[in-house]
Amino acid sequence: MNNKIVWVKIQAQNYYSVFIKLNDIGITIYDNKKEKDYILIKTAWKDYKRLKKYLVSYEIELYDNSGIFKIKDIIKKYQFFTMGIILGIIILLLSNNIIFKVEIKSANKNIQNLLKEELKEYGLTTLRLKKSHHQVEKIVNKILDNNKDTLEWLEIKYDGLIMIVNVTEKNLPKDLETYDHCNLIAKKDAKILSLNIYRGMALKEINDYVLKGDIILSGDIIHNEEVKNMVCATGEVYGEVWYKVKVEVPLKENYINYTGKNRFNLSLKINDNKYDIFKSRIENKKTEEINLYKLNDFEINLVKEKEFVNAKRELTEDEAYKKGINLAIEKINLTLNDNEKIIYQKVLKNEVNDSTIYLEIFIATKENIGEVSIIKGGNVDGSESSETNNE
Amino acid sequence: MKNLHFKEYFKNYLFDLEDFITIYENHLHVFNYQKLNKLSDTEIIIRQKSKVIMIEGTNLKIKQMTKQELLILGSILKVEFKYE
Repeated sequence: MNNKIVWVKIQAQNYYSVFIKLNDIGITIYDNKKEKDYILIKTAWKDYKRLKKYLVSYEIELYDNSGIFKIKDIIKKYQFFTMGIILGIIILLLSNNIIFKVEIKSANKNIQNLLKEELKEYGLTTLRLKKSHHQVEKIVNKILDNNKDTLEWLEIKYDGLIMIVNVTEKNLPKDLETYDHCNLIAKKDAKILSLNIYRGMALKEINDYVLKGDIILSGDIIHNEEVKNMVCATGEVYGEVWYKVKVEVPLKENYINYTGKNRFNLSLKINDNKYDIFKSRIENKKTEEINLYKLNDFEINLVKEKEFVNAKRELTEDEAYKKGINLAIEKINLTLNDNEKIIYQKVLKNEVNDSTIYLEIFIATKENIGEVSIIKGGNVDGSESSETNNE
Repeated sequence: MKNLHFKEYFKNYLFDLEDFITIYENHLHVFNYQKLNKLSDTEIIIRQKSKVIMIEGTNLKIKQMTKQELLILGSILKVEFKYE
């Protein structure tokens, strides 16, 4: 402890008289600094004790040259460099957390203006700080609540400095404004399950069977066998649609077997070009990426490389049968949107031949079967020509 | 005579008895001093066993100090020895 070297702070302005006194009492000084109101000396612990004992008229204390004091010293020494770094970090943080552009993905000017106003009210506009995911979610819910009649769905996400607003309007006004005179026809053979009429005259009812092209809602409003008005028939018609799907599943299949050997790498993504920073030592691999930093089109990602080997296995008939059904369901699901679904399925044929299982599956779905058919040159006596427009 | 000289040399080697100063461009090293008599930014007076050293200069200050040695920093203009 006695040989430990310490910095000692002596509260004094006259550097020279202090040193004469230090010399008189035989203090060893390894280094010293003169500051405005005090003197710092680098000495041994035992000499610090002697200083405290003999120089009673001076205020003497240990000057800790580690921890916060050392940081303070370094900052003082490299003040311009430190200020530059701090300024750089502030600019980086600000540029990463500021919205420079708001992109509202809607062709409708009214919706754009409406959303601009709403977002402005909640502080989501250009040159303002980005909000957290949780806050954005709350704002989205509030905006949707305020505009129940106009907005169907809203999503706000950030892409670098750009805030992207995806919006889906309520469908009804679009069709009504687009065409003057149209029918709503069936685009597939189906059994009608639900019928919501916004405009037009229903020619079919729930549980009716329709063939492709049959008029479900007519744009001609007929009263007492006379066409009183011509509108664009609009509505939502959901029907039960039937499919037959053929699937073949080999009983021997290739699959990927992970060895458990993982490696980490870093990758740079500039625009759409990707560069691995370190050379990969795994030949067959699947990768998972975690984004570490993103600024516009520049990204730094942490890449987890998982090694795998190609292996073969034999499926039992039961496993192949289940796999076949799942494949058929997946295939049909790809053609359905969010409001559509599979109602039921039934296997019609099940054969095994040459190590392959052959399945024929019947699938019934609930789908939107309405399709706008524009009527051109229609008049009140009923003579018209039509063309079909897919919704 | 030769033996005596060797003895002195050996004693000095072992116990560092000889006093001397070394002058560098901006430094002055004093070995084996007895007392720091005066210290200011323009003048330093040091007592050694057989002489007094008077140093004149500008911005003079002590860089390191032990019981035996002194390292002086500053622009040294003049060094004067006064033998007693």
